[in-house]
Amino acid sequence: MTFSERMLKIDRRIIFLVIGLCTLLPLLYPVGLPIKISSEVRGVYEHIESLPERSVFFISFDFDPASKPELHPQAIALLRHAFRKNLRVVTMTLWVSGTGLADQIVTQVAKEMGKENGKDYVFLGWSPGNTAVIINLGQNLYKTFPSDYGGKPTNGLPVLDGVQSLRDVDYMVSLGAGNPGVEAWYVFGKDKYKFEMGGGCTGVMAPGLYPLLRSGQINGLIGGLRGAAEYESLIGQKGKAVAGMDAQSATHVAIIVLVMICNLFYFSMRRATGRQSQVGS
Amino acid sequence: MIFLRRQLPLLITMVTGLLFAGQYYVPHPSSEQLLTSATKWLQIVGGFALVLGVTSLFHQHAAKIRRKEEGWGYSLVLYAGMLGTIAVGLWANGKESVEGAMTAFGWVYSYMMVPLQGTMFAILAFFIASAAYRSFRARSREAAVLLIAAVIVMMGRVPLGEYLIPLSGDVSQWILNVLNASVRRAILIGVSLGAVALSFKIIFGVERSYLGGGKE
Repeated sequence: MTFSERMLKIDRRIIFLVIGLCTLLPLLYPVGLPIKISSEVRGVYEHIESLPERSVFFISFDFDPASKPELHPQAIALLRHAFRKNLRVVTMTLWVSGTGLADQIVTQVAKEMGKENGKDYVFLGWSPGNTAVIINLGQNLYKTFPSDYGGKPTNGLPVLDGVQSLRDVDYMVSLGAGNPGVEAWYVFGKDKYKFEMGGGCTGVMAPGLYPLLRSGQINGLIGGLRGAAEYESLIGQKGKAVAGMDAQSATHVAIIVLVMICNLFYFSMRRATGRQSQVGS
Repeated sequence: MIFLRRQLPLLITMVTGLLFAGQYYVPHPSSEQLLTSATKWLQIVGGFALVLGVTSLFHQHAAKIRRKEEGWGYSLVLYAGMLGTIAVGLWANGKESVEGAMTAFGWVYSYMMVPLQGTMFAILAFFIASAAYRSFRARSREAAVLLIAAVIVMMGRVPLGEYLIPLSGDVSQWILNVLNASVRRAILIGVSLGAVALSFKIIFGVERSYLGGGKE
C-alpha cells in the first residue's frame, strides 16, 4: 500500500480529533474576527427598525432542541431588538417539541428587558394541525388560541389590542428548522393574509430559501449561526453566535484543508496507478 | 360496500377539492367562514392523528419486546422514556414551569431532551468532516465544479475565510443569489407543477392509491 493510499484510508478518529480541537480551542481562546453584515440579514433588521412603537411583531419559533445552537441565538437577538424597539411581541410555535424551548427563550429575554407578560408580549404555545394553524390564525387568532401558554384567555390581553388575525400583524418572522417553517408561513400565511414577512433558518436550509428572498416574498433571511452573529452585531449585543463564529471558522477551514489533502493524495494515487499500467503494457 | 369504500371517498375528495380550490378566490364572508370551519376540523383531526401515531408506536415496539426481536432493548428504552415522560407530563399538567419554578416535566425537557437532541445534531459535524475527506474528490469535471463551489461558499460564510480570501464573501454571495436561487426556483416550479397535476388527478379520481389496496 502506497503512502497516498494509506493517507486516504486514514483512521476517522484522527479527523474527529481535528474537528474536536478546531471547535474547542476557538471557544476557549476566542479571536473575534470582524463579521461582515449581509443584505439579507440587514433586511430583517431594518424592517424591525422602521416599525413604530407598539407595532405588532409576530414570531413563530418553528424549531426543536436539535437546531438550538443555530436558531436559539437568532431568537434571542430578534427578541432583544423587538423589545428594545418597544414592539408588542406575539410568539408561538408550530413544533410541539419546541414549546418548552420557545417558552424559555421568551421568558428569559422578556425578564432581561423588563417586559410584562400579557402587556408587552404573549406566548401562545403550540396547537395541533401544522399549516392549518396558520390558516386559522389568518381567520381568527382568538379561536385558534383561546388561551395563551400559561392558560390566560387571549381575548382582552393588552398586547393583542386591535389584533383579530394575521392581517393585523405588522411584521412576522418564522425561525424554521424544517417543515412547517418559513415556506409554510409564506404559502399559507403571507400569500393570503398579506403581512410583511422575514425568515430565519438553519445554515443548511438557507440556500433553499433564496428564491423566496430574491423574489421579495420574504424581505430578509437570517441564515444559520452566521446570520445570528450578524444580527447580534447589528443590535450591538454580542452573544453566543458571535462567540461561536470563531469555532465555525476554524472547522470550515479544517474541512477545506482536509478535502484539499484528500484530493492531493487522490490525484497522486491516480498518477501512480496510471504510470504502473503504462509500464505493464 | 363498494359505494362506501370507493365511490363515497372519491365523491368527498372531488367535492371538497373543487370547493376549496375555488374558495381561495372568493373573499365573501361565508366563504371565509367555510375555510375557518374546515381548518378547525383539520386541527381536530391533527390532534387525533397524534394520538393514533403514539398508539401505533406503542403497538409496534410492544410486539418487538414480546418477540425479543433484534434490538428489542432499544424498544424497551423507548417505552421507558415515553411512559416516564407522559407520566411526569400529566403530573405537571403539561407545564415546563409554574410561576418561574421548573416542574419535573420541565426538568426532563431541559436536562434530557434538549442536550440529547443537541448532541445528535452536533455529532453530524464530525461525520460530515469524515465523509467529506473520504468522498469529496474531483473524480470528474462536474465533481470538480461542485468541489470548487463548495470550497468558495464554505470560505465565504465564515469570517476567517473572508479574512484569508477577501473576495470569497462576495463570490459566495453571488453563487447563492444567482446560481443557487435560479436552480432552486426551477426545481420549485417543477415540483409545484407536479403537485398541481397530482392534485387534479386526485380530485378527478385518476389517482386512487390513497384509498388503499384492500379488497372491494
